[in-house]
Amino acid sequence: MTVSGGRRIGPPGDAPSGHRPPVPGSVATSGLRIRDREEDVLPTDRRFDRRSFLRHLGTWTAAASAGGLTGVWTAAPAAAAVPAPVTLPEGPDSQETDPALFTVVEAIRAIRGGTLSPEELVSACLERIRRLDPLLQAFNTVTAEAALARARSLGSTAGELPLAGVPLAMKDNYFTAGVRTTANSHIFADFVPTWNAEAWERLRGAGAILLGKTQMGPLATSRATTPDGEATTRNAWAPENERVSPGGSSSGSATAVAAGMAPGATGTQTGGSITNPSDAQGLTGIKPTMGRVSLRGIIPLTYTRDHPGPLARDAADAALLLQLMAGPDPGDPRTLGHPPVPDLVAAATPVTSPGGRPRLRWPTRIGVFPEDLAGVTDPPAQEPGPEAGQEERRRWERQLEARARAEAAARLRRTLLDTFEELGAEIVEVPPPADWETLTGGAFNNVRLPERAEPFLEQLRSDVRDFGVSLSPWINGLLLPGAEYLRGQRAKLVLLRRVLDGIFDRCDVVLQTSPIPFDIIGLPLITFPIGMRDTEAGSLPVGALFGGMPFAEDRLLSLAAAWQSVTEWHRMRPSGLEATGTRPGGEAETRSGLRLDVLDVWETGQ
Amino acid sequence: MSSPTPPSSPGSSPVPSPSRASTSRPGVPLQEVSDEALNGMILTRLALLGVDLSVLPEDDPDAPADQRRILESARRFLRSTPAAIADFEMDPQEVPPVLYPAALAPNRGAGAGEGP
Repeated sequence: MTVSGGRRIGPPGDAPSGHRPPVPGSVATSGLRIRDREEDVLPTDRRFDRRSFLRHLGTWTAAASAGGLTGVWTAAPAAAAVPAPVTLPEGPDSQETDPALFTVVEAIRAIRGGTLSPEELVSACLERIRRLDPLLQAFNTVTAEAALARARSLGSTAGELPLAGVPLAMKDNYFTAGVRTTANSHIFADFVPTWNAEAWERLRGAGAILLGKTQMGPLATSRATTPDGEATTRNAWAPENERVSPGGSSSGSATAVAAGMAPGATGTQTGGSITNPSDAQGLTGIKPTMGRVSLRGIIPLTYTRDHPGPLARDAADAALLLQLMAGPDPGDPRTLGHPPVPDLVAAATPVTSPGGRPRLRWPTRIGVFPEDLAGVTDPPAQEPGPEAGQEERRRWERQLEARARAEAAARLRRTLLDTFEELGAEIVEVPPPADWETLTGGAFNNVRLPERAEPFLEQLRSDVRDFGVSLSPWINGLLLPGAEYLRGQRAKLVLLRRVLDGIFDRCDVVLQTSPIPFDIIGLPLITFPIGMRDTEAGSLPVGALFGGMPFAEDRLLSLAAAWQSVTEWHRMRPSGLEATGTRPGGEAETRSGLRLDVLDVWETGQ
Repeated sequence: MSSPTPPSSPGSSPVPSPSRASTSRPGVPLQEVSDEALNGMILTRLALLGVDLSVLPEDDPDAPADQRRILESARRFLRSTPAAIADFEMDPQEVPPVLYPAALAPNRGAGAGEGP
C-alpha cells in the first residue's frame, strides 16, 4: 500500500484548491445544476459545488431552530412520485436454491425471466420467518396474508415494475397505512397510520411488497429491545448468543436480511443505525446525504440528523433500493434543491479495464486518517475489581468488545486498502481537521438531543414512564439551554466547512471508524463487509465504513461494487441458522435474559 | 481567558479568528459542582416544564428507569456537555449567527437553491 502524505492528486482538470470553480454550463448561484454532457461519465461529487451543501445544512439548522421541520412527520401525504424506469445490469442467475436468499436484483431477474413468481418469493420468505423468527425476533409484525394477496394481485404484470413484486421489510418507524407502526415504544404501541411514509410509498409504487415491520431500538435509540429494555432481536450470525449485538437501532432490518427472511429492508440513521447493524451482520448499508430521501412519515428521532436508507445484501441491491427511495418530495423541504438523483444502479455495476481486469469506475483518492493506519494503540481498559457494580462491569465489557472489533477492523483495513490500490485507487493520508475530536465528540454529538425532546414534550409532561428504557436522552434534551443548542448547530457548520475544505480537498472518499462525524453533518456513508473475526460466539462479520462528499452516493456505491467484484464476503451467509431452525421456537423458549437499562441506552444509543 | 472577538459588520475588513476549542475556561470547576446542586437544577428545570420524575421508582434496578439513574445520567450530561459547547470559541465571521428571515427561502429558489 502506498500512501501519499497529504499530496493532492486529482483527475485531469480538477481544481487545485478546495474552492471548485463554477462548472461550465452550471448555474453559479446554486452550484447544483448538472453538466448534461458529462452526466454519464462523472460522479455527482465532480458535477456540483460541494460547498452549496453548506448553505442547505445551514438552512435546515435554521428551520429546526424555528420549528419549521417538526410538522413533516405528521403532515398530510403528498402525491407519490411515479417510479422512474431502472435498467438492471446483466448478470448470472443466483447460485442459491432457496429464493429467499436471492438478492433483490437476482429475484427481479428471476421474476422477469419467468422462473419465479412474486407469490413463490413471498412464500419462501414467510417460510423462513416462520422457522427462524421465533428465535431471531427480527419482526414486530409480519403482514403475511396481505403480502401474499398483493403478490397474487401483481401476478404476471409484476415484472413491468422496477421492483417486480419483491418483498421488503420496513423498519417499524416508517408509516405503513393500516399496519401498526410502533417504533418499539409504549408511546406508539397502538398507532396505525392511515398513510405511507414517502420512502415506503415510493418503494411500494415501484412494485415492492410489504413483508412486515422490523424490530428496532425503542424510538430508534439502542439495539432492539422491548420498550422496557429486554433484548429481543438477535444477530443472525450468533443466533444462540443474545449478547452478540445485532447492531442498532435498525436491528430487525439487518437480521431479517442477513438471515434470508427478507431480500432487503429499510432503516434510519441518526448515529449509526443503518451502518452499525449492516456492519454487525455482513450487509451493505448506505446512509445517504441529508435530504436525499424524504423523512415525511417517519417517526423522528433528531430531525436534522435522521436519514432513511436501505440495508441490503450487496452494493447493487443498496443502489436499486436507494434509487427508488430518493428524490425531491414537496412535503419535506430538506429534499428540495439538490442535484438530481444519478443512476445509482449503473454506479454500482462493476467495470473492467479493456483487458478485462476489474477496476474502479472513477479515479478515486481514498483518504485515511494517520491514526487509523496505525491501528488500535490505546491500552485495553482495566477490568473492574470485585467491588464494582453491574453498570461499571457492563461498561467494561462494552469497551472490550468495541476494542476487539476495532482491532479486527484495523487488521482487515490494510488488505482492503491494498486491494483498492490494485483496483486503481490512490491512498492519501489526510489529517483530521482542526478540533476534530471536539466537534465530533460526545458534547457536540449531544446537540441532537433537544430536537428529540421537543416534539415529544406533551408525552414527557403526560407520563415519563411511557419512554421506558429510552427516557434518559429525552430528559437530557430538556436540559440543554438554547444558547448551547444554537452554538452546537453553528458548530456543525464549522465542522462541515472544515471537512469539505480540509478532507475533501485531498481525497474523494474517506475511510471512517465511526459514523458519528458524518451523521452530525449529514454526509453520506456506506458500509460493506470486508472479512470475518473469530470470537467466543463464533465467526462474525467485519465491515468497512467510507464517507463521501454531499450526494456522492454514486461514488460510494461504485467503491463497494468494485470491492465486491473481487471478493466474496458479501456472499457469505450465517451458517448456524439451519440448525437453529430445527428447534421449535416460541416466546417462552426465547425469552431473553439480557436487559438494557436507561444508562446502557444513554451510553450506547444513537 | 482570551478576549471575545468583536462581531463583524458590513464593510469591516476580515480578521482571521478561527473558531476553536478553548484551552482554559472561566467559572466554577465542574468537579466542584455537587450532585445535590445539579439534582436541584435538574428537578427545578423539569418542574418548570411540567415534567414529573416522581412517577418513577426512586431506586429500582429491575425497573426500566428510576429516579436515581435518570438523575445520574442527567448529571453526567450536564457535567460533560453545556460547558464543552460553551468552551468552543466561535468566530462570528466564520459562521454568522443568522437564522432569520425566511429560513426556507433557499429551498424556494430565492437565492441559493433550485426547485425539484
